[in-house]
Amino acid sequence: MSLNLKTSAVLTGLSCAFLALTAAFLLNPWGRPQAREFIPLVDTNFLSTATVRQSYAELIRLKADLSDFDCYACHEKGKPPTLRFDTNQVLIIPTEHANLVMGHGSHNRNNNCFNCHDENNLEQFQTRDGRALKLSDSTPLCGSCHGPTYRDWEGGAHGRTGGFWNKASGETTRRNCVECHNPHAPKFPGRAPAPGPHLLHPDAHIAPETHAAH
Amino acid sequence: MATPESNSPGMNRRSFLRTSAVLTSGLAALAASLAPLRNLDDFPSVEKFLQKYYKEMTPEEMAKVLKRIEHDVEKQYGLRPHVRDLRPMDGVEFVYALNLTRCIGCRKCVHACVAENNQSRNPEIQYIRVLKLPHGSLDLEKAEHNSDPAKVPEKGFFYMPVQCQQCKNPPCVKVCPVHATWQETDGITVIDYDWCIGCRYCEAACPYWARRFNFTKPEIPKEKLNLEMAYLGNRPRKQGVMEKCHFCIQRTRAGKYPACLEVCPVGARKFGNILDPNSEVSYILRTKRVFIQLKEEMGTSPRFFYYFDV
Repeated sequence: MSLNLKTSAVLTGLSCAFLALTAAFLLNPWGRPQAREFIPLVDTNFLSTATVRQSYAELIRLKADLSDFDCYACHEKGKPPTLRFDTNQVLIIPTEHANLVMGHGSHNRNNNCFNCHDENNLEQFQTRDGRALKLSDSTPLCGSCHGPTYRDWEGGAHGRTGGFWNKASGETTRRNCVECHNPHAPKFPGRAPAPGPHLLHPDAHIAPETHAAH
Repeated sequence: MATPESNSPGMNRRSFLRTSAVLTSGLAALAASLAPLRNLDDFPSVEKFLQKYYKEMTPEEMAKVLKRIEHDVEKQYGLRPHVRDLRPMDGVEFVYALNLTRCIGCRKCVHACVAENNQSRNPEIQYIRVLKLPHGSLDLEKAEHNSDPAKVPEKGFFYMPVQCQQCKNPPCVKVCPVHATWQETDGITVIDYDWCIGCRYCEAACPYWARRFNFTKPEIPKEKLNLEMAYLGNRPRKQGVMEKCHFCIQRTRAGKYPACLEVCPVGARKFGNILDPNSEVSYILRTKRVFIQLKEEMGTSPRFFYYFDV
């Protein structure tokens, strides 16, 4: 009889333990894994590999509208346009070219159109050493002043590269100067950075400052 | 004379009913208390469990494993990936060069890397950190990771992206107790995610904080999955394994440039074969002012070089 009682007691105890476990698993008093904080996906613009601009050569290749480059639709052939400067010797941009922002060279020193454009034939460029270059061939024009940068570009240290590093597998794409730089204002404007690493701990941003304090 | 039921010491109707009721409820409770086991659904399959070490697999075994990975990914994401096992090429040693004069700290590389390499979006795993440093100093103690200005670059600061440096003398490889990470002949230090036991020794050994650990199951939206995968590269990882930058093995061993280089808007990132004297990186190391290998004094000899213009 006592054996029977003992068995019952043990079984009841075990049942209670299992029931308690069941209840614990269902109610989860020590907390379910916390729902993860929502992290927004990054704007796909930040993943774009496109350049900021398109060169004339690229526009020809894409068969884009080239009417902007038809200088003699407005200008008169054989009559070089005259440039006007204000009292500080800053070029006055005519209203027809109001979209141009001039900012080439520190202190805006390169403010004469005909340092690069050919006044006698607006549909081509002229270098300072007297070479004539097509509008689609502007890289040597830039190189005629920016020698070291041009050398680095040719060597591959300057400028954007893409495609294949291995010539046996495919073509390496090189970008021209004007695909990244605006020739009239070559310095890059600032841009909004992509989001930084997500701070898992809400107070994490305090850490660098306290670190710097001591 | 008593009935056999009442005086039998073992069993009568009442005690039988009582015992069986207790037993039934006890068994039910046991079953219910084991219910959480149902959530353990990602037990490895037998083939996965018995999978051999990467370097010991025959090509046939590898083909089978790649098929299995494709199947697993399809089961999880509903999309069929293309998983390859790309081996190092002869006469190729990869080197990365980064132009500190050009970098504007826009962090496009960070996110291009995440997209290319199927890193977990939540929790966030990123291989590249962009350090912001004040001009005139290379004191990494002063570096900031989390800056979020309206516009970059900021006046008075320069930016230094840091990722796996693919050391020639990698401390992470030395500490791995199971040889799950090793250096390949083209200079890339790789990880076999199926061999890693998640001890994180390598993370502790790395002086560049380049290794990341999957503390939870990685979360990648299905439509963001990059289906062009490599075994040692960007195939989805599981919880409890290490990962890090592998120079986009699935791209670079197929002849392409890494994703972080392609996306860089200022052309600060350069990559190529140092054994080819006509490559861009050869030109840079030969002619440019290559200023540092990061933490040069550690003797790790990184294959990642920082250089300056002028």
